[in-house]
Amino acid sequence: MSVEPPLVTGISPKEGPPGTRVTIRGENLGAEPKDLIGLKICGVDCYLSAEWKSPNKIIARTGPGKGKGDIVVTTKSAGTGTCTVGFRGYFVQTGPLQESAIWIDESQTLDRLGRGRASSPVVSRDFENPLGLSDEGNQGKYAEDILLEIFPEGSGDTKLENFDSAWFLLENHHGAGFDDLKAGLQYLKRNSGRQKEGPLAFVKTNLSTFMDCQETMRTMHEELIRDIQANDGSSITYQLENLLRDANKTADSLFQDVLGRKDRADSTRNALSVLQRFKFLFNLPCNMEKNIKKGDYDMVINDYGRVRSLFKDTDIAVFKKVYEEVERRVADFREMLHKKLLELPSTLDEQKKLVRYLVELESAGDPAWECLSNQQQWLLQLLTDCKTGHMDTGDKSFMLPQVETEAPPTPSQRIAVPGFSLTSGFKTGKNHSFSSTQSPEQAGWKFKTPQRVLFVEELTDILTESFPDFWKLGQAYFSGNLILRETERIQKIDTSKHVEFKKMASDVIQLFSNLMRAAFLPESLENIDPALRKTFGEWSESKHDTRGAWLPHCVRYIRSCVGALSNLDLPEECLNICQELAFDMRTHCMVTLLKQAIQDMKNLHQRESWNVDTDDVCGGITQLPLLFENIVNETIQHLHEVVMKLKPGETNLFDQRDVQIEATALCTQLVKEFSNCIEKLAFKGDTLKPKKQTQSSSVSAEEETQEEKVPAYDKRLLIMLSNCNHTIQRAIPRITENMDKHQYPETEKIAQEAISAFQEVDEKLFEAYVEEKSNPIIGALEQNMYAGRFNWDECLKPVGVRSYLKEALMGLIRVHAEVFAISPVLVTRILTRVIVAVSEEVARLILCVETFNLNGALQARLELITLQDAVALYATDESSEAVQEALDYLPELKSEDKRFLEDLINNFKTRMKFQLMCFKSDPVLRGPAA
Amino acid sequence: MAAKGKAQQPAVIHKVIMVGSGGVGKSALTLQFMYDEFVEDYEPTKADSYRKKVVLDGEDVQIDILDTAGQEDYAAIRDNYFRSGEGFLCVFSITEQESFQATAEFREQILRVKSDENIPFLLVGNKADLEDKRQVSIEEATQRAQQWNVQYVETSAKTRANVDKVFFDLMRAIRSRKMENAKQSNGKKNKKDKKKKCIIL
Repeated sequence: MSVEPPLVTGISPKEGPPGTRVTIRGENLGAEPKDLIGLKICGVDCYLSAEWKSPNKIIARTGPGKGKGDIVVTTKSAGTGTCTVGFRGYFVQTGPLQESAIWIDESQTLDRLGRGRASSPVVSRDFENPLGLSDEGNQGKYAEDILLEIFPEGSGDTKLENFDSAWFLLENHHGAGFDDLKAGLQYLKRNSGRQKEGPLAFVKTNLSTFMDCQETMRTMHEELIRDIQANDGSSITYQLENLLRDANKTADSLFQDVLGRKDRADSTRNALSVLQRFKFLFNLPCNMEKNIKKGDYDMVINDYGRVRSLFKDTDIAVFKKVYEEVERRVADFREMLHKKLLELPSTLDEQKKLVRYLVELESAGDPAWECLSNQQQWLLQLLTDCKTGHMDTGDKSFMLPQVETEAPPTPSQRIAVPGFSLTSGFKTGKNHSFSSTQSPEQAGWKFKTPQRVLFVEELTDILTESFPDFWKLGQAYFSGNLILRETERIQKIDTSKHVEFKKMASDVIQLFSNLMRAAFLPESLENIDPALRKTFGEWSESKHDTRGAWLPHCVRYIRSCVGALSNLDLPEECLNICQELAFDMRTHCMVTLLKQAIQDMKNLHQRESWNVDTDDVCGGITQLPLLFENIVNETIQHLHEVVMKLKPGETNLFDQRDVQIEATALCTQLVKEFSNCIEKLAFKGDTLKPKKQTQSSSVSAEEETQEEKVPAYDKRLLIMLSNCNHTIQRAIPRITENMDKHQYPETEKIAQEAISAFQEVDEKLFEAYVEEKSNPIIGALEQNMYAGRFNWDECLKPVGVRSYLKEALMGLIRVHAEVFAISPVLVTRILTRVIVAVSEEVARLILCVETFNLNGALQARLELITLQDAVALYATDESSEAVQEALDYLPELKSEDKRFLEDLINNFKTRMKFQLMCFKSDPVLRGPAA
Repeated sequence: MAAKGKAQQPAVIHKVIMVGSGGVGKSALTLQFMYDEFVEDYEPTKADSYRKKVVLDGEDVQIDILDTAGQEDYAAIRDNYFRSGEGFLCVFSITEQESFQATAEFREQILRVKSDENIPFLLVGNKADLEDKRQVSIEEATQRAQQWNVQYVETSAKTRANVDKVFFDLMRAIRSRKMENAKQSNGKKNKKDKKKKCIIL
């Protein structure tokens, strides 16, 4: 698409009156109809009428532009354009006698015509055509603007000062010949001469008109004279006056009747309405009774208002009596309303209505305030009752747990249980602990929502449902919404009560908070007077660990309750109490959950199945590290959901330093606990299980089979070593990442501490395992070396490597196989150490020999070199140094024996090919298939 | 922006006026020349104005075309239009004898208005593609052209035959005419001005 702006190069036609249909041609007038976004002709926007035909053609209608002007096309794609041609708009004045299809505003033309005639028709007509030449017609005239160009100073109007004769001639007679113009000049002269003759000439030309006028005036005069004579000299108006007076009299008499009837009707109506009023008064007591029964209090109040205004100050005895009756009933009614107002629970609207009724009935005192304080008392009572009720049932069910377990859980409780849980894996862990540590009766608690949780639910429900009504009523009271009539009510809104009300509200909140704290955070109430504290309830601590799982649930309730309250525009101190409660609860929940996780972690060793899953990269692990990771991650996840996620107005838990420190410490402990678990399993794995057996009377079959699977000490060491390795390599980074994601503080520190703890355990396990493995091999070495009373000094010519070394090598292969089966990654680490130990031992033994004969030296050299070669891959500086030292110790080899030695070495290598292959390459590189 | 655009346009403008009877194809020739477009449907013209930039013998000039009404209804306003013209394309249709006859009247009117025998002028026989309906022979037309001392060209707005030629030939004539005037202007100026004034009075 070209970026050239639109250019208008053609216009057809090039001039015309407003509304002329024009064809605009040019270049880049828009790529499509929508591209065209503007069209101005002579400065008048014609976009609405524009019809895009092609990029070269637009058809439009002109607007009311006057004179020559540009045609400007604007397109979306190329902007505002230019033009090489212009359009000239002009106005056509339709004359009064010309036919026209449209309505013409003639006010101007007609006005001018009228005024012209009034002043001097002759002169004006003369001016229209002073030369007396006939026009050629409309066409071919010079347009005004062209003339303006030629005579910038002049004008064609004969009446104006700047009149220019050339303009005038061009405008009106440019087609006339010279002779015609000469004749015109004559005519003009004649005319001007005639004008100079003045009024006389005027009278002469209009003589007949003057005669007519005179005739008419004379006739009128005669008529007047005749009239006066016919009426005997008296005036015509006198007669008229008499006639009118008569007519008035007649009209009056005609309407007398009608007016009289209307007066009578009016008086009857008045009498009736008075009767009506009395009837209303007498019937009022009855009606009031009826309306009260119907609940139509508005009506009653309305009626009462009317009666009062009518009869309050009456002196008539009967009325007084009835009015007193009414007053009495109203008093009763008031009393009733009052009672009703204090009845709770009730809705906000209902209360507002009742208060308004009472106010309208002008009952004594301040009903709204009474209502408020009553409601506050009621709320406090409600909260306390709730506490007492739950504590009673809690105690009861604690005494009689059977009853509790028999009761089927309600649907809501059923839903509540899966809503919070730490997922199934966690739960099975709990199952263990329950079945192993608690009596069956207590285990029943798990299936029933704890009393405390029910208490939280109910307490928060009470507060979220009832408190807003109370608060809103208070708000309405202070904003004056409860009082409809303005006048004397203003002083009734007692601002001093505002403080009192705030106090009431915060009392309720405080009670709520204290009750909650008593249930969950009794330690936070320690600095309150013990007697007072007792009223908030003292919950038994026995089922403390059950609560951990329920805590997030409770926290959720409290938070939603606090959230609801904070929407209420409560005063600062009330909100603070709530927020503090929520914050403490969250902290408490977090700490409890973390502690529980630590507890779970402590019990984790009971769940070791000793089934090793081999992993390509990190080696074999058991279920344990994964379980560990799960517990930690789930705890984090769970805590995040309930404790970390901030609602508006809540503070971040970790913003408080002490909370943060505690959280960090707990997290560290949680992660570290696993290292203890690993250590425990590795060193005491066999003792742990039987102990449990004695502890718990009911051991499942599954556990017994597990029992049998517990592997030997060395195997355990190895498995745990692998687990530990995995934990350091994989689990900790993952956990750290997860914690970071959930914005835990100081994750770096936690991870570091954890890793150091694990490394410690790892070191311990490693040392233990290496010792366990190298001891038998090393112990066997000396014994086997001198088996069959072998003496280095009396040695025969060697035939090959002796079996003690082969056995040692076999021992190494066994270790290799064992480690490789569990964790290939550990092979190098362990073998290196074992081989160092073996090499040192062999070297020590050789160094202890006092004398070698030649054959003995050859034998020793052969064995040393073989050992060195076999384990070359796992050799370290230490091991090779030891072997080298032994080699140096041996006497120098004879050259002819060198050959023999090589043959023997090769012989050994061929024969032990398969065994030696184990040491030949890194197992990790070979992969598990080998 | 508009001002800038105008400033860039070449100063030289050749003003061409299309004359001829109604329906001979003045507008068709103009639109073909301007926009390479042949308009089939006939719509009587009142007075159309076109102007575009062309390259005349390597020189940027502007051609301003005034497409006039052929109908007799508008005869009265022609004088005004003719006055501004610098060159004329007098068009007739070779398929219509009357239109050829009318060219004489147009020529006369132009000469009267411009009072210049050598005004750039081309006699154009349009609709050359309709050979089978020819009423005006080439000889006839050529003879008249010779008599007037002007060029005769046959065109076809439909096939675009000779369309560019007539416009460019006319522009060349106008250009050479202007150069001639420029040479003479020094001597003639005063005389001319006086003469003009006489006409007005």
